[in-house]
Amino acid sequence: MKIWKVMLVLTAVIYLVVLFIFVLAWIKDIRQVNSWNEVYAFRIDPKEKLTPEAKNAALKKQVNDLRPKGVYIMVDSAENRYYLKKDGETIKEGLVSTGSGVVLVDPSGKRSWVFDTPKGEFFVKSKIQNPYWVKPDWAFIEEGEPVPKRMEDRVEGGVLGDYALGFGNGYFLHGTLYTRLLGRNVTHGCVRFADKDLEEIFKMSKIGTRIYIY
Amino acid sequence: MSKDQEKIPKMWTAKRIKETGEGGAISLMVFLLLLILAAGVFGENVQPGAKSVNKSVKQNKRTTAVDKNSQVVQKNNQPAVQKKSGPKSQEKTAQAKTETGQPIKDKAKLQVVKENIFLAEELSLAKNPQYYFVLNLKEKKIELRARGMVLKSWAARDIRYTGPAVPLKVTTLAQKTALKPPKRLLINPAENQAQESSTAKPQEKKEEKAGQEKTAAASGSGSSDNFEVQALEITDMPTSYELIMDNGLQVSIRTKGKEKSRQQRELISWYVLRPIKNLLSSKKEIKPKMIIYFEKERDAQGLYWAFIDGLKGLIWLP
Repeated sequence: MKIWKVMLVLTAVIYLVVLFIFVLAWIKDIRQVNSWNEVYAFRIDPKEKLTPEAKNAALKKQVNDLRPKGVYIMVDSAENRYYLKKDGETIKEGLVSTGSGVVLVDPSGKRSWVFDTPKGEFFVKSKIQNPYWVKPDWAFIEEGEPVPKRMEDRVEGGVLGDYALGFGNGYFLHGTLYTRLLGRNVTHGCVRFADKDLEEIFKMSKIGTRIYIY
Repeated sequence: MSKDQEKIPKMWTAKRIKETGEGGAISLMVFLLLLILAAGVFGENVQPGAKSVNKSVKQNKRTTAVDKNSQVVQKNNQPAVQKKSGPKSQEKTAQAKTETGQPIKDKAKLQVVKENIFLAEELSLAKNPQYYFVLNLKEKKIELRARGMVLKSWAARDIRYTGPAVPLKVTTLAQKTALKPPKRLLINPAENQAQESSTAKPQEKKEEKAGQEKTAAASGSGSSDNFEVQALEITDMPTSYELIMDNGLQVSIRTKGKEKSRQQRELISWYVLRPIKNLLSSKKEIKPKMIIYFEKERDAQGLYWAFIDGLKGLIWLP
């Protein structure tokens, strides 16, 4: 037997070994992937009084009981859409404008604001017709104007539309003059509606109505 | 023996192999090596008197699951005892229950028990005002829920999962990583004024945004309409990114048809490199990994938007 024959045999052995390793790896992988069909092989607790079916029904009821009843508002800040819901059914939907996500830095460098619409569950805390906007500090800073000391200098009428629903921390669902911007992320955190849409929401909602922003 | 043959080490010569029987030794060594590897693959799955199931992994998961289950039971029946008992004693109790409890053979009943654990976990999430996610691998969809109701849902085109199963308990989004993460626009009026005074040009955009140039006239809460800002919108979100959960699960989000070369590399890695790596790694080193493919890039972007840091959720394995 010559050297090339030995090399050939060695190559064949190496090839077979590599192939074998691959096959083993794949088998292990397949078994592992499939193992998550088996891992939830739970056992029934002998001390458990309820049957699994009865417990299931009880848990489902508990989860269902947490769902909002009556009228609630959902705002999709990614798509800039709102959904007015009643007992799970959509009554009305349309465009809104939500936070721009911009960061404003005070020239002094001591303060900054992030213009995001807050996400989560909120409640209507105030209902205002013909609202006035009390401009916060950032509104002046953004425009490069000095921040007034008198409250009267901060009040501006007509810019929030005909209705406003406050949901805490200075955030409102309110109307707008700039309807062409509905559907875009342009606000400082409030949710802007077309006045006609907000009118119906305003009438249907009350203090405590839930708002879901996501 | 020729000179050429002399150069070759003795152990490689065919004659020597033939004469000394080292060929048999080499074959034996290769055979033993393969046997060890095979034992690594099959050994952990074979238990005396058991079917071909991964009993050790299964036992751990059972303990976790029953632990959770037993906590629910304790909450309902013996709240005072649960408060007093520490985590160690709870673990012991759970283990005892695992040992004494009857294994469920009926698949329908097993599904109900599994769903009960899921519901108990969801209940804990639904009691909080923050929304949460449910990643359903069976139905290939991701849902955003609050108070038990679905806020938004995304249908995935395909979901791949590998590694040990993650326990059926609440997990938290620990980190979001992307090659091109979205950048917030920064407005600094002081800098702008300085720029205005130094140049006679009109006010420019505050900061270049990566990739896209889009403008939207904006106002405070509607006070002025005479300046432009760039907003962070859904279209600025990445289409390929990673979500890292606190239970070690790494979820890769991809959009079909985008970044083809990267996806091809990942495909090779998924089917060739990763299985070999898993074979050579110990069980503890193997981490669960998931890839979710979306048909539309807007779905992937929407998910990035909604999955805020610290978001809690549940992963429902089939």
